[in-house]
Amino acid sequence: MKYDLIVIGAGPAGMSAAIKAASYGAKVAVIDENPSAGGKLLGQLHKEPKSGWWHGRKIAREMETNLRQTGVTCFQGKEVWGIYPRWKVIMNNGEELQSENVLIASGATEKAIPVPGWTLPGAMAVGAAQTLTNYHRVKPGNKVAVIGVDPLSLSVAHQLKIAGVHVVGIFLPPNNEFSKDRSTPSQMISYLSSMAHAAPNIFLKFAGNMAKYPFVQQVGAKFYPRFGIIIWGTPFYLRKTVLEIGGAEQVEHIKVAPVSQEGIPNEDRVKTVDVDCVCISGGLYPLMELAGAAGCESVYIEELGGHIPLHSPEMETTQPGIFVAGNITGIESAKVAMEQGNLAGTVVAAKLGLFSYKLIEEAQKNVKEARENAVITFQQNIAKGREKSQQSWKEYDSKGVKLYADS
Amino acid sequence: MMRITDHPILEDLEKRPVTITFNGMDYQAYEGESIAAALLANHIRVLRYSEKNREPRGIYCGIGHCYECRVTVDGKRSVRACITKVRDQMCIKSQDGDDS
Amino acid sequence: MQTADAVVIGGGVIGTSIAYRLAEHRKVVLIEKGEIGAQTSGACDKAIFLQSKKPGFPIKLANASRRIYENLEDELEASIEFKKDGGMIVIEKESHLPFMKDFIKKQNKAGIDVKLLDRKESLAWQPSLSSHIAGSAYSKEDAEVNPLLLSQGFAEASKRKGVEIQTHTEVTDIAVNHGKVIGVQTDKGYIATELVVNAAGPFAPKIAEMAGIGLTIMPRRGAILISEKVKPLIHGNILCSQYIAAKHLEESNSNDPPYGIGLSLGQTESGNLLIGGSREFKGFDKAVEPEVLSAIAAHANRIAPALKQIRIIRTMVGFRPFTGDGLPIIDESRDVKGFIIAAGHEGDGIALAPITGVLVASLADNNSNYKDLLEPLRMNRMQAV
Repeated sequence: MKYDLIVIGAGPAGMSAAIKAASYGAKVAVIDENPSAGGKLLGQLHKEPKSGWWHGRKIAREMETNLRQTGVTCFQGKEVWGIYPRWKVIMNNGEELQSENVLIASGATEKAIPVPGWTLPGAMAVGAAQTLTNYHRVKPGNKVAVIGVDPLSLSVAHQLKIAGVHVVGIFLPPNNEFSKDRSTPSQMISYLSSMAHAAPNIFLKFAGNMAKYPFVQQVGAKFYPRFGIIIWGTPFYLRKTVLEIGGAEQVEHIKVAPVSQEGIPNEDRVKTVDVDCVCISGGLYPLMELAGAAGCESVYIEELGGHIPLHSPEMETTQPGIFVAGNITGIESAKVAMEQGNLAGTVVAAKLGLFSYKLIEEAQKNVKEARENAVITFQQNIAKGREKSQQSWKEYDSKGVKLYADS
Repeated sequence: MMRITDHPILEDLEKRPVTITFNGMDYQAYEGESIAAALLANHIRVLRYSEKNREPRGIYCGIGHCYECRVTVDGKRSVRACITKVRDQMCIKSQDGDDS
Repeated sequence: MQTADAVVIGGGVIGTSIAYRLAEHRKVVLIEKGEIGAQTSGACDKAIFLQSKKPGFPIKLANASRRIYENLEDELEASIEFKKDGGMIVIEKESHLPFMKDFIKKQNKAGIDVKLLDRKESLAWQPSLSSHIAGSAYSKEDAEVNPLLLSQGFAEASKRKGVEIQTHTEVTDIAVNHGKVIGVQTDKGYIATELVVNAAGPFAPKIAEMAGIGLTIMPRRGAILISEKVKPLIHGNILCSQYIAAKHLEESNSNDPPYGIGLSLGQTESGNLLIGGSREFKGFDKAVEPEVLSAIAAHANRIAPALKQIRIIRTMVGFRPFTGDGLPIIDESRDVKGFIIAAGHEGDGIALAPITGVLVASLADNNSNYKDLLEPLRMNRMQAV
């Protein structure tokens, strides 16, 4: 079957792009491996400063209605296992779709921080707990520990609390090569202070604001209370780490120890805390395997969360006709992803001759605005990351050849 | 009780009950929810045992990426419980390393 | 300006093995354009087959390499998951029986312990196989190793011996003066040296060209499917007679399977199945057509129907350096002194990596300890035929 645009991933970016292109008259297909459209939107729930509660599930449903109204064909619950020149998109049921334009909006996934015992049922990525709580309305556990301090984990801790789940505490991850710069109290303090400006979340705001005082930063975590700060009934421990998750068939307890400013645990003061669920958060990284398999060149940009496909200001990758939008281009909030999707959809519609190229500039401006007004920032220095990304594209573009042409 | 019933912000979901079978036992689930959520609501966390050391495994990433939650559904192996919706009369089995 | 006694180009299993041996009494720099073991050496299966090698010199070479494997983990002070868990060549069709019987006879004569198993015996050892097979050749001498750990193991042991490893560094030129190597130019700087080893595998011709030397090594593309983790299903490693026939009966082109497909099947420590493979000449194009992947899966399913229920989670593609006669080139250039070539191992890189390091060290030391093994690997053999 031939389409004007095939979108892979029905999250905020993919759906926005599909709706945009289809609204200009393009024949669009969307493929998504989840049973329901929405991607990461489905679990989102936070308070926006001006517009009130951001209820991801509701927004996803509205966008799904828009998809239907604009005549987009949706393949829900189907996986893409390959993209072949130029371009055939093959799904796991063997079905093949064709289009000159493919948008990969595969989003992001969570980095793992291995903790002894983390494979026990009941230990899960913080994002899984979010979807269970806000989308399925099932408690991930009755007594939950959160490991890892970042915008997502704090946001989910808050959401768990709202849903009536007992959160026994937010802890630092154990100091290992996977937790690297997020496991010592000192690093945490400076990290939090840099993130405090962008916090729709009471935990992050509180902890971040406290960390912002030069005095606190100077003395580091030394004077941060060992027993943590209790915010909305949830203890926030910047000087405690989880050494181990224990249980026979599933999570039954965690072993917690105080840590020095440098992150060294005091093994003499280990305490056992009963829990039935542990949420682990190591941050997000762009999911770009599919783009890589399609031959798109990538670049590693720390500020954007990891490897991203090289892409032009029009969101086109090094493979002509393959576009990207959303978290695959760097970890940002759903609103930025939506504007990136709008931009990609606009570019494809313009390329198809459905209207003038003039609207692209406006779409680009909207992405920038969404970025500037974002209430959630997941990465430090996102603007610098975007600059680096643009710079990498310029370097690639000026060479005028594929980077791998020599091999 | 694992179900969240009176959420202070979110309105209640419309729920149509269905029956699923897990390892030979019947459980109540709601149409539209994932297998993993339905089983967790019934206090079931162990979805399978690892192939080599036969350790228990359950839901981890929740978005179909890690493949830790795979179960056998109506005879089909390695279906991801976290991104597969329940259906009435669905027959789910845990994968025990030696039934593959 | 940096100086070195030797510069090794290529950080795969071959290059790291060479660097490790040369470091015995040399200051060595190893240059790798990407990561260690990430190209050909990171996209292959893990089998070390002896019984599949051609009788005669290839067996002798493989045997010499295999002997080094016996103590390699102790030597490198690292686990490389070396296991002597046997290998089986499945004879799928009755029509392959005469060829395989003859092949086994020759192998036995060469001192390789291979037994012909009938259908029942084969299935008893490997229950996942189809009951339609004609039989198999089994050798308990076949072994396996984790190729990723192998190159890492050589690289780490090299570092401990003082080798400097420069990754993400690309060689841009080889400086030659009056027929002698004098240095290597990379995108990061110049290294003065009188000894350069070209261990760039399928990319070796490009490096050789920089020294003004023509090499006839071609990239032969191979794809391998990787399955989800499953319980122990396969004992040791499996090839099929079609693979052997494709490998050793090059003249019988008319019966060539599509895409050069022949089964290679094994299971990793963690339970994933590695299901190979294809053998195609497609330049350096990594985009394997879905038809090829389907054909590999169909072929494997026919021989081991148990695979049908198992999910494929990804594929990997590598470029094997093909020389034409199934043997690598390990030789010093006659035209450019100090320029050693150690490339062209095609599908035997893992099996031959240990001996290759030893042979190159022997060449560099200019001793005659391995004359009998080096003679058939000279680069001018191609022109001589």
